[in-house]
Amino acid sequence: MKTWLKTAIGALALVPAAAIAQVPAGYPADYAQTIAAAKKEGKVVIYSALDTKAASPLIKDFSALYPDVKVEYNDMNSTELYNRFIAEVASGQGSADVMWSSAMDLQVKLVDDGQALAYKSPEVAKLPGWSVYKNQAYGTTYEPAVFIYNKRLVSADEVPADHAAFAKLINTKVDKFKGKVTTYDIEKSGVGFMFVVQDTKYFPAMKDIEKGFGATSYRVYSSTGNMLEKVSSGEHLLGYNVLGSYALVRAKKDPNLGVQLPKDYTLVLSRVMFIGKSAKNPNAAKLWVDYILSQRGQKLIGSDVELFSIRDDVDAEYTAAKLNKQMGGTVKPIPVSAEITQMLDSKKRLEFLGAWKAAVAAGGAK
Amino acid sequence: MSSVAAAPSARSGVPSFLTWRALTILVTASAVLGPLSLIFYQSFLTAPFFDPTKTVGIGAYQFIFADSDFWHALKNSVLIAAGMTVIAVPLGSLLAFVMERTDLPGKRWFEPLILVPSFVSPMVLSFGFVVAAGPVGFYTVWSQDLFGIAPWGINSLLAMTVIAGLTHVPNVYVYASAALKSLGSDVEEAARSAGASPFRVAISVSLPLIMPSMLFAAVLVFFLGFELFGLPLVLGDPEGILVLSTYLYKLTNKLGTPSYHLMAAVAICIVAITFPLVLLQRKLLQGARKYATIKGKAGRMKELPLGKWTWLALALLVFYLFVTVIVPVSGITLRAFVTNWGFGVNLFDAFTLDSFRAVFEETTHKRAIINTILIGTVGGALTVACYTAIGFATHRRDDGWSRFVDYLVLVPRAVPGLLAGLAFLWVFLFFPPLTPLRTTIFSMWIAYTVVWLAYGMRLISSSLMQVSPELEEAARSVGAGRGTISRQITLPLIRPGLIGSWLLVFMIFEREYSTGVYLLAPGTEVIGAQLVSLWQGGAIDIVAALSLINIVLVGIGLAIALRLGVKLRD
Repeated sequence: MKTWLKTAIGALALVPAAAIAQVPAGYPADYAQTIAAAKKEGKVVIYSALDTKAASPLIKDFSALYPDVKVEYNDMNSTELYNRFIAEVASGQGSADVMWSSAMDLQVKLVDDGQALAYKSPEVAKLPGWSVYKNQAYGTTYEPAVFIYNKRLVSADEVPADHAAFAKLINTKVDKFKGKVTTYDIEKSGVGFMFVVQDTKYFPAMKDIEKGFGATSYRVYSSTGNMLEKVSSGEHLLGYNVLGSYALVRAKKDPNLGVQLPKDYTLVLSRVMFIGKSAKNPNAAKLWVDYILSQRGQKLIGSDVELFSIRDDVDAEYTAAKLNKQMGGTVKPIPVSAEITQMLDSKKRLEFLGAWKAAVAAGGAK
Repeated sequence: MSSVAAAPSARSGVPSFLTWRALTILVTASAVLGPLSLIFYQSFLTAPFFDPTKTVGIGAYQFIFADSDFWHALKNSVLIAAGMTVIAVPLGSLLAFVMERTDLPGKRWFEPLILVPSFVSPMVLSFGFVVAAGPVGFYTVWSQDLFGIAPWGINSLLAMTVIAGLTHVPNVYVYASAALKSLGSDVEEAARSAGASPFRVAISVSLPLIMPSMLFAAVLVFFLGFELFGLPLVLGDPEGILVLSTYLYKLTNKLGTPSYHLMAAVAICIVAITFPLVLLQRKLLQGARKYATIKGKAGRMKELPLGKWTWLALALLVFYLFVTVIVPVSGITLRAFVTNWGFGVNLFDAFTLDSFRAVFEETTHKRAIINTILIGTVGGALTVACYTAIGFATHRRDDGWSRFVDYLVLVPRAVPGLLAGLAFLWVFLFFPPLTPLRTTIFSMWIAYTVVWLAYGMRLISSSLMQVSPELEEAARSVGAGRGTISRQITLPLIRPGLIGSWLLVFMIFEREYSTGVYLLAPGTEVIGAQLVSLWQGGAIDIVAALSLINIVLVGIGLAIALRLGVKLRD
C-alpha cells in the first residue's frame, strides 16, 4: 500500500516538471519540436572555460527546466578547449555540442572556419548587436577588466584610478613596486593577450605601462586565480587587467583585496558560445544556448554565477546596465567580430609579442 | 619480426613460448615507437598533423632556433642540470656513507625519510616551497617576525637549482649506498687506525672506491635536470625563467592557436640531448656492476665509530630533511586549512575546512582521487604484469631481440613525460581501435606504463637476475618447456620481488604528473595532472587540499612498503 502511495505521489510530482518544459513565452510555436527532439537526444555535452563549480547554478536550473536533458559539463582552460575541439572534430569522433569560452578570438575563428552550426536564437532581439556574430556565436556575459591591489599594503591615495595613473605609479614608485606588479602572461593566456591588444587601441600611452612593467620586473601568470591569490597574500601589490568578475567575487570575502575599475575606459570581455557543426545533440544544444541567453539564465549569470548579465532587461546584482551606468559610458565591450581574430595570424602575433617584450626590456634597462 | 612470429607453435595447441615472446616484443615496440615516431613526424610539418593545410618542411626547427626564448631556456636547463649535479652528488654520497658505514644513531628511521623527496610529486614539493618559503610563505613571515629578516628567495635560477639539487639527493643516495654495501670495511678500518677522521675516510677511501656508481648517479641527475617541469613551472614561470620543458609548454599558446609542430621540434631537441645521456648511463651502469663485482669481498662489515663527528653528521641529516621534507610538507598542510595567508594574517582566524569540502563536492576532484588510487593499485599491478612479461621475453636469452628490447625500454626514458602524454593523446584520437578508451583512465594507464618502462624493467630484471640458473636448468633437464619453466619455476620464485615492484610502481604512479597534462579529460582525471591544470587556473585552495591528499596516498604506500620490508630501491 505504502509503495503504491509513493508511486502516486512521485507521479504527481512529475506533473509540474512536465508543465515547465513547455515552449517559453515569445518563442515560435515549432520550438515544441526542438524540445521534443532534445528530450530524445537526452543530453547536451558542453566544453567550457568556466569551472564547473561556478557554472553549477546554471546547470541545476537548466536541469529543473528540462529534466530530460542531462548536462555533461566539462571545464578546461580556453586553449585546451580549442585544441581538444579541433582535434576531436578532425578525428571524426565528434566533439562538444556547445562550446563556451572566454577566448573570444578563438571562438570567432572556429565560426569563420565553419565549425559552428547556424542557429538564430529566439532571444536574439534582446541582445546587444555587437554580441551576436553571424547568427552562430553569441556573447553571454559582460566581464570587466580591472586593476586589483592589496588593501593592507597599498594606500588609498596610491590606488590608480585610470590607465594613466597606473602607468605613472609603476614608473615613479619603482622601489616600492619592484617585483610586486602582476598581470597575465600574454604568451600563455589568450585572454590576457586580447586585453592588451585592445588596450593599445584605447590607450595611446600603453608603452608607458609596458615600460613600467619592465622597470618593476613584473610577474606574470596564466590565470586570474593566481594573481588574486598573490595580491591578496601581499606577495604582489598590484594587478593589471584582471578579470573583474572573479576579482569582485573574491573581494567580497577577502578583506585584503581591493578592486578598481579604470575610469578612463573599462574593457569588457564576453564569453562566446556556439553550437558545434557536428554536434550529436543539436536540439539539446539549442535549448542550452537559448536558456543561457534567456532572461531566466541571464538573471542567474547576474546573481549566483556573478559574471554580469549582458541583457538590459535583467535586474540582478551584476548587470551590464548597472556597470554602464556606474562607469558613465566609458565601458568598451570587445565585440564578437572578425576583427578580433586578426591577431591570431602568427606573424602579426609574434610582431606584437616582440614589440611588447622590447618595451618591457627597455623599461627594465633604465 | 616475421621470422620469429613464424616459428612453429607448440604441439599442445597453446601458443608456444616463442609466439608469446614475439607478441610481447611486438606490442612493446609499437607502444614505445608509435608515439615517438608521431612526434618525430609532427616536428617536420607546418601545422597539426591532422590539419589538411599542413605541409612538410623544417620550418618548425627554423622557428625555434631563431627564437631567443629557446636559447634562453636551453641555457637555463644546462645550468640547472649542472648545478643540481654538483649539489646532489657530493651530498647524496656523503649521506650514503654516513648511513651505510658509520654508527650514527637512529639510522633505521632516517633512511625512509631520506628517500621521501623522490616519492613526492615535484609539483607538490614546489607548491610546498612557495607557500612555506616564498616571499610571503609561512616560514618567511615567521622568520621576519622573529628575526626581522628572511634571508632567502625561491624564485631565482640559483634557488631553483639548489632546490632541484636537494630534492635529487635520493637518486644519488640509492646508488652510492648500494655500492658502499658491497665494499668490505677492512680498508676503512685501516685508514681509521692510521688516525684519519671519519670525514677523511669518506673523502679519501670509501667514496673514491665507489667512483663508478657516483659517476653513474651524476649522469642520471644531470639527465633528470633536463626533465624538470613542475619545479620551473611553479617557481620560474612567473619570473620569466624558462627551461626547455616549460618553454615547450608555453608554445601551446604562444601563437594563439596550437603549435604542435613547434612543440614536437622542441621535444626532438630534448631527446637529442637526453637519449645519448641515457645510453651513457647504460654503459656506466654495466661498468659499475663489473667494478663492484671485482671489489665485492665477502668482508665482515664493521661500522665506523663517528665519535665527536656524530653531531655534525646528525646536523647535516636533519638540515637536509628540514629543507626537503619538513618545510614543503608543513607548508602545504597549513595552506590546506586556511582561507588566506600572508603578512598580517592570523592563521587561527583563517582556519577552514572549506578546501576539502570543495574537493569532495566536485565530481572531477572526487574522480581524480579515485582514479589516482586505481591507477596505482590495480593499474600498478597490471603494469608490473606487463613488465614481467617483457622481462620473461628477454630473460636468459642473449640474442639480437633481447638486445633490441634492452634498448627499446630505454627510449621512453628520454622523452619528456609532457610530450609523451601529448603523443598518446594523438594516438588515442586517431588510431581507431583505441579511440573508445580515450576518455577512460585506461589511456592514462597505458601512457604511464610506457613512460616508466625503463624504471620498471630495472626492478623486474633485478628480481629475475636473483634466480639462480641451476633451478631453471633442473626443470629443463626433466623436460619442461620454456613457458612451463617461466610459469612454474621462475615466477613463483620472484613473487616477493614483484610485490615490492608493485609498491614502488604504486608510489611512482601516485607521484606522476607531467604525462597526464594533455591526456587530462573528463573521465581520466588524476591528481598529478589535475594539480598542473588547477595551478594554471589559480585554484590554490584546491591545489593545497589535493596536494595533501596526494602526500597521504604516497605515505600509505610508503608505510606498507616499510611494513613489508620492501627495499625502497632497485
